[in-house]
Amino acid sequence: MKILIIEDETELAKSIAEYLAEENYLCEFASTFKDAMNKIEMFQYDCIILDIMLPDGNGLTILEELKKHNKQEGVIIVSAKNALDDKISGLQLGADDYLTKPFHLSELMARIYSIIRRKQFGNSNIVKQNELEIDLLAKTVTINNERIALTKKEFDLLIYFIGNKNKVISKSTLAEHLSGDFADMLDNHDFVYAHVKNLKKKLYDAGCDHCLKTVYGTGYKWIS
Amino acid sequence: MSKKKIFSNNKNLKPLLNKTTKPFLIYVLTILIISIPVYFIVIDTIWKGELDEHNKTIVEKTAYEFNHLKLSDADLRKSIALWKLIQPETNIEEIPFDNLKKDVYFTIQKQKPFAAEPEIERYRAMKKVVYLNSKPYLFTIETNIEESEETIAAITATTIFFFIMIVLGLLFLNRRLSLTVWKPFRNTLENLKSFNLNTQQTIEFEKTDIKEFEELHQSLNKLIEHNISAFKTQKEFTENASHELQTPLAILKNKVDLLLQNEDLTEKQYQIAEKMNLALARSFRINKNLLLLTKIDNSQFDNSEVIDFENLVKQSLRLLEEHFLQKDILVKKTISQTITLNGNSSLAEVLINNLLINAIRNTPPNGLISVKLTDSTFEVSNSGVEKLDSDLLFKRFSRLSKENNGSGLGLAIIKEICNFQNWTIDYKFENNNHIFFVKF
Repeated sequence: MKILIIEDETELAKSIAEYLAEENYLCEFASTFKDAMNKIEMFQYDCIILDIMLPDGNGLTILEELKKHNKQEGVIIVSAKNALDDKISGLQLGADDYLTKPFHLSELMARIYSIIRRKQFGNSNIVKQNELEIDLLAKTVTINNERIALTKKEFDLLIYFIGNKNKVISKSTLAEHLSGDFADMLDNHDFVYAHVKNLKKKLYDAGCDHCLKTVYGTGYKWIS
Repeated sequence: MSKKKIFSNNKNLKPLLNKTTKPFLIYVLTILIISIPVYFIVIDTIWKGELDEHNKTIVEKTAYEFNHLKLSDADLRKSIALWKLIQPETNIEEIPFDNLKKDVYFTIQKQKPFAAEPEIERYRAMKKVVYLNSKPYLFTIETNIEESEETIAAITATTIFFFIMIVLGLLFLNRRLSLTVWKPFRNTLENLKSFNLNTQQTIEFEKTDIKEFEELHQSLNKLIEHNISAFKTQKEFTENASHELQTPLAILKNKVDLLLQNEDLTEKQYQIAEKMNLALARSFRINKNLLLLTKIDNSQFDNSEVIDFENLVKQSLRLLEEHFLQKDILVKKTISQTITLNGNSSLAEVLINNLLINAIRNTPPNGLISVKLTDSTFEVSNSGVEKLDSDLLFKRFSRLSKENNGSGLGLAIIKEICNFQNWTIDYKFENNNHIFFVKF
């Protein structure tokens, strides 16, 4: 999978690349508007991570250019601004997702995973891992051909873990994912534990007992 | 200073013109009183001088006329006797030799000889030696002069009359002046009262041809410009500082994510990294809230949207439901009215969320939160132990509870949003309940 990271902050770009590298993602960088335009013209990517605040131009122009040339890359906008305007115009111009800086790398990876799946598998978007089968469109989960009922939050968590295979995800990261803006305003992240515990139990009961592991006491890891 | 304080002081305040009038009048009165004896002395002296001259002329003229007649000594004596009868106020006496070195002037008081009623009159008298037929005669002449009391009375009456004229004139002029001369000052005052630092607009003062007011305007303009620029700098600083912090914090956050993936990580190190995650999340929230406050301050929000307040409340309650459950908090909802308001939906959402989260954080487990929405108020109350300091409550970074690790800006943001929307937020403590209520 080829990913283009358009980001002027090299440390951020490097971190993203390092996190993604282990999972078969090949990252290329563009730190300026000009550089980005050149790369987009010459190469094909599976997903583009686009910082819209570039020193020599607006990232939204890049997005317009992509759409003009009918390019099929999935685009995730990342922006330090959480201005609603940017979000709307970005999505209207055809971005697939929008992330406000700062974000957890696991959050970005889960979104990249979803976008690439959507772009590549279209109508039959089914993830398989041993006895586990997840239909991303119908939002159903079967283990050994048996349907298991998950709540919305549990399904959300499962996809998050699948998108972050073999990564350690901490409780606070999951809290931010589940509660968004609320998470850091709440003193207590025990609700995460409750959701993960339920998910784990459902998976375990259906015979999938080796996938979701608890690590370091309060962290989680999906083993594939 | 609050408006209330300014108004309560008003009772003891007097207009500037009254202040200057009173000492001025006292001064005028003093001068006029002093002027009465001075006038008297001046008038009396002039009068006496004139009368002395007059007496002297008569004496000299009379002596000249007698000498001119070239009378014999006997005829002269007869004539003098006759003269004395006709002119009782004069007296001509033969004296053996001239014992007067020079003329003598003096004032005497005596009864009027011919008046029906006895009346003391004042006379100016003169004694002079004249030579008639080469013999010395002592000539005494008296002329009636106005009594001192009468003069003083006349001067006093005139003075009082002028004092009254001055007072009336001054009051009249003051009224006229306060309407015309002070008009630009009043306008300036009105302008200043309407000045609002938040709007960042300088005041256009009316042109005036009065030097002091023009100077005042210039100084005020300078002051206002300085204030605005200081306020702007302060806001820009907050905004820039928050923006600039975003990137290093974002890098930190991602580096912690990477650190967690390290295979050699021990559980102890993991826990440290997780604590860093929490602290970072808090830094971000502070940053984000500061930016939000700046944005509200700068009025960068559209204020013309229609807010479906009821729906926003329901949505927030739904999103927070699991957090109520987590702490076993009972939520009592009273939503009696469907209301639509004008304002900004995103801000209204922030307001509702902040109030509800504030309630969740500060409610003990198994506590009660009640949410009430009517067509004029939105009220969130939660169980508590003691009243909070309502002066500090809505101030930025004034944390009131000890174990609080929020951004310290939640309630300040609520206050700013209310200001922006022209709503009011208030706090009260009743029946062991903290009650926050927003009035639309």
